[in-house]
Amino acid sequence: MTRQVPLVLCFLFGIVMILTEFVPHSRSQGLYQGIVNWSLIISPFALVLAVATLIQTHWTRISRHTEHWQYSYVVFIGIIIMVLIGVPTFLNNVSFLSKIGLSFGPKSPIFEWLFNNVQVPMDATMFSLLAFFIASAAYRAFRARTFEATLLLITALIVMMGNVPIGDLIWNTVMAWTPWDDVTSTARQWILDNPNLSARRGIILGVSLGVISQSIRIILGIERSYLGGD
Amino acid sequence: MLEKLMNIDRRIIFIAIALSVIIPTLLPVNLPITGSEPTQKLYDYIDALPPGSTIMLAFDYGPSSLAEPAPMAEAVMKHCFDKGVRIIGVTLIVDAVTLADKLMQKVSEEKGAVYGKDYVLLGFRPGVTQVILGMGTEIAGVFESDYTGKPLSEIPMMANITNYDQIDLLLDLSAGSTVEIWITYANVKYGLQIAAGVTGVIVSQMYPYLQTGQLVGLMPGFLGAAEYEKLINAPAKGTEGINTESFAHLLIVGLVIMSNIAFFVHQRQSVGASSRSQREE
Amino acid sequence: MEVFGIWVAAFLTFCIYSFLYRDNPFYRFAEHLFIGLAVGYGIVITIHQGLIPLAWNPLWQAITGEGEASRWGLLNLIPICIGLLFFARLSRRHSWLIRYPLAILIGVGSGIAIPNVLQADIFAQTHGTLTPFSQIGRLSAFEIFGAILMVIGVICTLTYFFFSVEHQGAIAGISKIGIAFLMIGFGSAFGNTVMGRVALLIQRVDFLLNNWLGTLF
Repeated sequence: MTRQVPLVLCFLFGIVMILTEFVPHSRSQGLYQGIVNWSLIISPFALVLAVATLIQTHWTRISRHTEHWQYSYVVFIGIIIMVLIGVPTFLNNVSFLSKIGLSFGPKSPIFEWLFNNVQVPMDATMFSLLAFFIASAAYRAFRARTFEATLLLITALIVMMGNVPIGDLIWNTVMAWTPWDDVTSTARQWILDNPNLSARRGIILGVSLGVISQSIRIILGIERSYLGGD
Repeated sequence: MLEKLMNIDRRIIFIAIALSVIIPTLLPVNLPITGSEPTQKLYDYIDALPPGSTIMLAFDYGPSSLAEPAPMAEAVMKHCFDKGVRIIGVTLIVDAVTLADKLMQKVSEEKGAVYGKDYVLLGFRPGVTQVILGMGTEIAGVFESDYTGKPLSEIPMMANITNYDQIDLLLDLSAGSTVEIWITYANVKYGLQIAAGVTGVIVSQMYPYLQTGQLVGLMPGFLGAAEYEKLINAPAKGTEGINTESFAHLLIVGLVIMSNIAFFVHQRQSVGASSRSQREE
Repeated sequence: MEVFGIWVAAFLTFCIYSFLYRDNPFYRFAEHLFIGLAVGYGIVITIHQGLIPLAWNPLWQAITGEGEASRWGLLNLIPICIGLLFFARLSRRHSWLIRYPLAILIGVGSGIAIPNVLQADIFAQTHGTLTPFSQIGRLSAFEIFGAILMVIGVICTLTYFFFSVEHQGAIAGISKIGIAFLMIGFGSAFGNTVMGRVALLIQRVDFLLNNWLGTLF
């Protein structure tokens, strides 16, 4: 009951999706669409998993007083503020709240203000830190120690210079005596269109074969890790 | 000296990187931008669409990566509104919908486009693959209403649009794996034409799809945004950005070359010193 | 309110950049606030753009008979009940129940993936590798070189990932060429990644210098 039924469900839904893909009959396509619609309805509920895990993690941090546990309260405050302003759209009908200028829902000015002025700048800044770290890492670790490392290094330098207009400007100024223009961006384009493409295609073919074999293993119940323990 | 140079405090590199961006932002320069074929292909495809055609714009990027796809979206929207091509906005990423709403409003105000007639924002639905497959049969089956909650049946531009058959192109502005998902499900199963505008991080993996024609065009990162702005003759954030970016790249390339020179000189010195000490022994 | 918003955004931007010096309370505050708001935002959007339009509205219309809804809409109760099983995660005793919706979603996902991935990534990519040879008469010498290079690159890269045979002799040589192609691929990915990361920094610097300082001068 705890493991067999999910395995049977997985098998049935998987097989039906494969078979209906190859049967163009309207009933078969209707079944296909019906299952797609059902899984569309089920999908949003998966949010519970993510939220429950996050809340559990931070609740444990608070209850066990682990390092920097106080900041977990900030997480909860953030969640509560957004949910209180974003979820209860029915409160927009309460005249007292409208009179004092409060509105609720994802289109509420307060919700959008918080998103645009608090969430967006923090998210964008957090990831922009990587610009500093990638430059520092390139300085420290990008060394032509071996043939392979040299290939990687030279390619990266050409692509980096080919990606920006100053690359061609430098070439066209310094190498003006040669008959070729815009060599930096041309070299970059050739690398991306040829050796890069071959390597990426090899990876795509490998990964796709992996996806297909893993999907078959899941449908047949050989791969069961998604069921978890017990 | 060489050891010091090789083990320079990372904060000095941080300051150098910051300055390489701050100075050109304060003192902007205009460098000539050479167009690339993938962006040209996308431009040509959209430019050839007759007025009244419809493209679907998938805003599949969040605030963490909006620097590159946002100028691309802006440039393409301007081009479409100028040409009379209608736009359907949609997103598979949860934190993109407010960004998409804001951007569409901004460009439409600038171009005088009318909501519901020239463009519409369907919004977000969770499920990615199922959303793409669902819209293939019937868009209204997935998006019964638009982002504001208005039923699609009441939106004039959606009157003759049932599914992908009435969409001339899907442009995915992506910072993740959504381009591959759109190709796998919308292109393969429903024959929808797909193009992409992607962040630098995933540019390289797009080229196999470009060569097979599964992508009709591609805007590669900031460069793509700048190239498209040049093609529509409306330089904006993409052009400013790629000009500023030039100096940061120049600095990083310089740093890498300098560290390698230091590394080789240091290696040669240590090899020389060890052979000298061996001879002395 | 707009200027206040810009100042709040600038303050939080500096809080996060303070991490470049070292970890500190300002950074930790901003980091945790960001997680909280992002999760809260996700909950709100998923409820209003997912649960309400996909689950609640059709069901409500079926119950009340509003609009074009028919009683068949009541069948939506089945996936809704399956979806509700995700809440079993909140109870240790009943948490095994989440395997039901998970199994259905994973089964559907796997079933959809097999034929479509096969077509999009295996057939189309193999076809793309060989297509240039069908037009060989129309290709320039340089393009023919590119086409041959592409076939060699794909075969060598795949050989590198083929672990069922020991990489010795000719196989070792071919896989070594594969590594060279992979290194070029990773090098170009690195070069493009630098562009992406620096772009993020440019956007923040542009905000600080033009938007934030713009409120002062």
